[in-house]
Amino acid sequence: MIRFSNVTKQYDNDVVLKNLSLNVDKGEMVYLTGPSGAGKSTLLKLIYCAERPDIGQITVANWDIGKIKQSTIPFLRRNVGIVFQDFRLLENKTVFENIALALRIHNLNTQTIREQVNAVLREVKLSQKAKTYPPHLSGGEQQRVVIARAMVSKPTVLLADEPTGNLDDDTSNSIIALFREINARGTTVVIATHNHELYHGTGRRVLHLNNKNIEQESIG
Amino acid sequence: MKTFMFSLDTALKSLWQEKWINFLTILSVATGLLILSIFSVISLNADAVVKRWASEFGMIIYLDDSADRTTEERLQREFTNDPDIAQVKFISKNEAMKDLQNTLGENSSILEHVDENPLPASFEISFKNKNLDSLYVKKKTALIEKMSGVTDIQYAEKWLSSLSIVSALLKAGVIILGSAIVIAIVFITYNTIKIFFYRRRSEIETLKLLGATRTFIRLPFLLEAIFIGMAAGLLSAAALFGIHFFVTNKLPNFLPAVSMLKIILPAVVYLILPLAGAAVSFTGSFIAVGKIRY
Ligand SMILES: Nc1ncnc2c1ncn2[C@@H]1O[C@H](COP(=O)(O)OP(=O)(O)OP(=O)(O)O)[C@@H](O)[C@H]1O
Ligand SMILES: [Mg+2]
Repeated sequence: MIRFSNVTKQYDNDVVLKNLSLNVDKGEMVYLTGPSGAGKSTLLKLIYCAERPDIGQITVANWDIGKIKQSTIPFLRRNVGIVFQDFRLLENKTVFENIALALRIHNLNTQTIREQVNAVLREVKLSQKAKTYPPHLSGGEQQRVVIARAMVSKPTVLLADEPTGNLDDDTSNSIIALFREINARGTTVVIATHNHELYHGTGRRVLHLNNKNIEQESIG
Repeated sequence: MKTFMFSLDTALKSLWQEKWINFLTILSVATGLLILSIFSVISLNADAVVKRWASEFGMIIYLDDSADRTTEERLQREFTNDPDIAQVKFISKNEAMKDLQNTLGENSSILEHVDENPLPASFEISFKNKNLDSLYVKKKTALIEKMSGVTDIQYAEKWLSSLSIVSALLKAGVIILGSAIVIAIVFITYNTIKIFFYRRRSEIETLKLLGATRTFIRLPFLLEAIFIGMAAGLLSAAALFGIHFFVTNKLPNFLPAVSMLKIILPAVVYLILPLAGAAVSFTGSFIAVGKIRY
């Protein structure tokens, strides 16, 4: 589903990833870990085309990121749900509207949008906050809205960048349970985190990012 | 279609949220359109006046004293059959004399000492409106002058040519002014939409990351610009209507001479203004949203 071959990525002259290769199969749930600044977010950005590799080849689903046309990028992104590390919620739209936006982009009708958004709000336990604006939510609530928005369109790939950074253990566990459920429905899931509690004992693949490459691979 | 409805909704919300900047934009665009339409109406009317006056002045063709009945009839036939000539009126020597006596009124006694009628017979002709430019009239004059039996021709050449020049200058002025105003309107809407685009840049960035197409991102801005342009067009049309009403119905009370002007203002202008406003401001916004890169 996701394949990197000898990818190098640098910002200006600062090499972040060097000669990195990886492969995530369809339906897998993989953890990506490493110290702050190791390049976890950068790696995810390369997958959804927010950054371009300087060297190497990346394929996501059937798209070759190196050759993808500008006009095709939106269609790639519609297949990728993203939990952004910095949330990217629209402050002037309600929780409901923020989540609905991901479906409006898909040109769905109002009725379908309402049903799907309400369903996902129940899953992240935010039904009561549907009409609230993001600035009035706690950090953990905002994080769940972002997760809800990422999963509402039932993407083939879900990328979560530090999805439990603002959550207590209980909520973290329920969010991870949610990701497992999504994964069980066939969605490929990649979770970037430096919290090893998250993958400990899951039996999933864990990729350790350090020194510009995947230094080590383990089973959580 | 759903995208369109959503964009429409977004555009209408933004129109309301940014009502002050939108109001000012509409006002500026409307002012531009109003100035442009007023000048166009003036130019259109000047052109019409030139043609009307020229046709009313017409042309007087004096006949040779020696011209007899047959010559008169031949000329009459020729003028009547000429497709460029709208009206022909023959004035015989006697009629000319009567006219003169009428004009002089009680002073006509001075004519009593004139034995023989010195006035020539003449034709008064007027041209079809569409042909009335001074070059054409000159050509026609030269042709008529050569006809046998014709001695002299009088027409409002000076008037006609200077009026034509005024009218041509007005037309050129309107075109230059018009282009300047159109560019100004494009620039004004460009600016406004650019500001909106800039204010919403982080929202746009998020939309891009969520997989929004260019159309989805652009459409609300373009629709908003179309609304702004249309509103400005309607506003200027209303103002134009008001000014026209004032000039034709109220102004003559103070300035009776104004009622002599038969102002031509085709009703279609009221339709063109909103459409032109929308088109021009759409252009500005189209440039403003630019090429979206992912
Ligand atoms: N847009 C950018 N321009 C320049 N440098 C950048 C940019 N984005 C990231 N970097 C740099 O690249 C390196 C990797 O950043 P990245 O955000 O991928 O790390 P991370 O592993 O996600 O860290 P964290 O765990 O703190 O989120 C950092 O040194 C960062 O300063
Ligand atoms: Mg990061």
